[in-house]
Amino acid sequence: MPRGRPRGGGRIAGALGVQGSFPGRSEPVVFSATCRRNRRVALAPALAPALAPALAPAPARARALVLSLVLSLAACAAPRDDRASRETPDAASRDVPSAAPLVDDFGDTLRLARPAERVVSLNPVTTEALFAMGADARLIGRSRWDASPPEVRRIPDLGDGIQPNVEAVLAARPDLVVLYAAEANRTAAAAFRRAGVQTLSMRTDRIADLARVLHALGIAVGGSAAARVVADSVRRSLDAVGARGAGQPPLSVFWYAWPSPIITIGAGSYLDELITRAGARNVFGDLAQPSPQVTLESVAARNPDLILAGPVSSARLRADPRWRAVRAVREGRVFVFDTSLVGRPGVRLGEGARSLRALIDSAAHALRASTTRSAP
Amino acid sequence: MTNARWWLLLAVLAVACVAGLAIGPVPIGVVDVLRALTGSGDAQAVAIVRDLRLTRVCLAAITGAGLGMSGAALQGTLRNALAEPYLLGVSGGAAVGAVLAVVAGLTAAVALPVAAFSGAAAAVALVLVIARVASGRADPRVLLMAGVVVGAFANAAIMVLLAGAGEGTVRNALWWMMGSVAGAEWATIRWLALYAIAAGILLVAVARDIDLLALGEDAAAGLGVRVSNATRRVFLLSALLAAVTVAGAGLVGFVGLVVPALARAFGIRRARELLVASAVLGAALVVGADVVARTVRAPAELPLGAVTALIGVPFFLVRLRRAA
Repeated sequence: MPRGRPRGGGRIAGALGVQGSFPGRSEPVVFSATCRRNRRVALAPALAPALAPALAPAPARARALVLSLVLSLAACAAPRDDRASRETPDAASRDVPSAAPLVDDFGDTLRLARPAERVVSLNPVTTEALFAMGADARLIGRSRWDASPPEVRRIPDLGDGIQPNVEAVLAARPDLVVLYAAEANRTAAAAFRRAGVQTLSMRTDRIADLARVLHALGIAVGGSAAARVVADSVRRSLDAVGARGAGQPPLSVFWYAWPSPIITIGAGSYLDELITRAGARNVFGDLAQPSPQVTLESVAARNPDLILAGPVSSARLRADPRWRAVRAVREGRVFVFDTSLVGRPGVRLGEGARSLRALIDSAAHALRASTTRSAP
Repeated sequence: MTNARWWLLLAVLAVACVAGLAIGPVPIGVVDVLRALTGSGDAQAVAIVRDLRLTRVCLAAITGAGLGMSGAALQGTLRNALAEPYLLGVSGGAAVGAVLAVVAGLTAAVALPVAAFSGAAAAVALVLVIARVASGRADPRVLLMAGVVVGAFANAAIMVLLAGAGEGTVRNALWWMMGSVAGAEWATIRWLALYAIAAGILLVAVARDIDLLALGEDAAAGLGVRVSNATRRVFLLSALLAAVTVAGAGLVGFVGLVVPALARAFGIRRARELLVASAVLGAALVVGADVVARTVRAPAELPLGAVTALIGVPFFLVRLRRAA
């Protein structure tokens, strides 16, 4: 399970990188960029009914979102590349599972006669993605860790996402179970398949994983077009964040994920990627694991310019005199990140990247101010 | 025992402590370390030496001394060279007490050792009852088996207690159960030192009883020892020492087994000297083990309990063979 537990919920609108407040309005602001490449506008009326079943029981906000998706699709339904167009040879006849078999990260082949209609998603990233795709009406179960979007609470909680209670999930009669592809879930995936239930086990560790996951979910629930729109807008919102200006020396960052033992992030984490994209450098980026455990003194030795910490960890850090051994702590450069935004590599990655970028910018500002102060 | 041997023991402890203070990812020379200890010099070095390294060394020393003394007392009283708090389930009982306290929200530095002590005392009582029921007189082998059973039960109890806890609590608890002095802080060390020193002094005060009990219960009774009272006192003090180490550093096994044996190899026989030597050697061993734990896989650290077990298990097997 990706580290951390999102608390509170962002909005689906944010998931798609829509600027400003979204609920109540359905203007497809963000999607307009896609439309320049539009070639097959005529497909739109055919696509709308394809997405319509997802609309029916959704709450107003989600419905507004899906509507906006449909509207934007109406304007720009053209597949963006050749691979995508192979997946949807005939978009007008719904997204049927493609001829090329979809193989998940456990090496299992997804075999669905028709798009899955009773989906249990046991990974908060995929649950949130299904909401963003407007496929939440197909969700009949989620993990206990799901918190985003807020509407997720109406989906029944079926327990843990790692080593799930297989019998409890089967009792919900799913036709597809979406799992996080952790080794600990192999047994569960095999058990579901033996019970005749299809599984889709995907890693969600790196930024690049999200596009793969959306692609796979699109095929699984017959919403490839919506999945592409979501993937596109996440990518664009990430690209829009950009790095700090060239010529500025990269700030070094210590990411304080957990206090006992001290856990940080290594090169295997999407957060390491986000830090790099924001023009900073992870002081433990040389460690391969996604969540390595480190000693306090090694943090002091690597002397980060700033510390990014969650709300719990930063409170512990301020209360603990031992952290005074780290210069950034002594000089007050500890910044609290929003766990609900950066806790998971999901469809709100763009928002997370933007918030990190803002934190790193304010740290750079604080650092400049302190160096000018200390200069004679 | 000659004075030279005592100096040697103290020298071993001093070397371990200097290593603990001088070795770390931030390079600080020995001279600067000594200056930092007095609070002068670079602020960074002072913070690292005094708040990071010295705290670890102190907690490791308390842990090692407590476990060493606890093991020495238990081995003498039970006339069993394989007895030690971890193998006898005493540490496990202490862990249950500590986890119960944490789950109940009692995490104050004063209260945690007390909670751990109630668990440890209950475990000792349970082990002795099981051993007596199973073999009439406390057979050393049955006693060890009873200890293992109580330890396993303690483990299960902790898992049950943690089943309803949050993800964070579980992670903290599992890390703590593997043993570590990474969380050492002056606020907790003060209380742990107080408890450990008090229990240690009391144990040394009853050292004569341990010597007599080591002769066998009948012989001890014949020499005027009120066997059950004396035994209970020694067990409770050993349990308190073990509980203090568990409250401070989690489960660190095999120290109580290895250290008294090493002390005996120095030619020490009398309980009073054995207890003191075990405290010194135990402190040196755990301080050294902590240096290993935090340097071998730097910047990560190994659980301290894993390092001491890697040293202790082969040692246990050798002694088991000799005992058989």
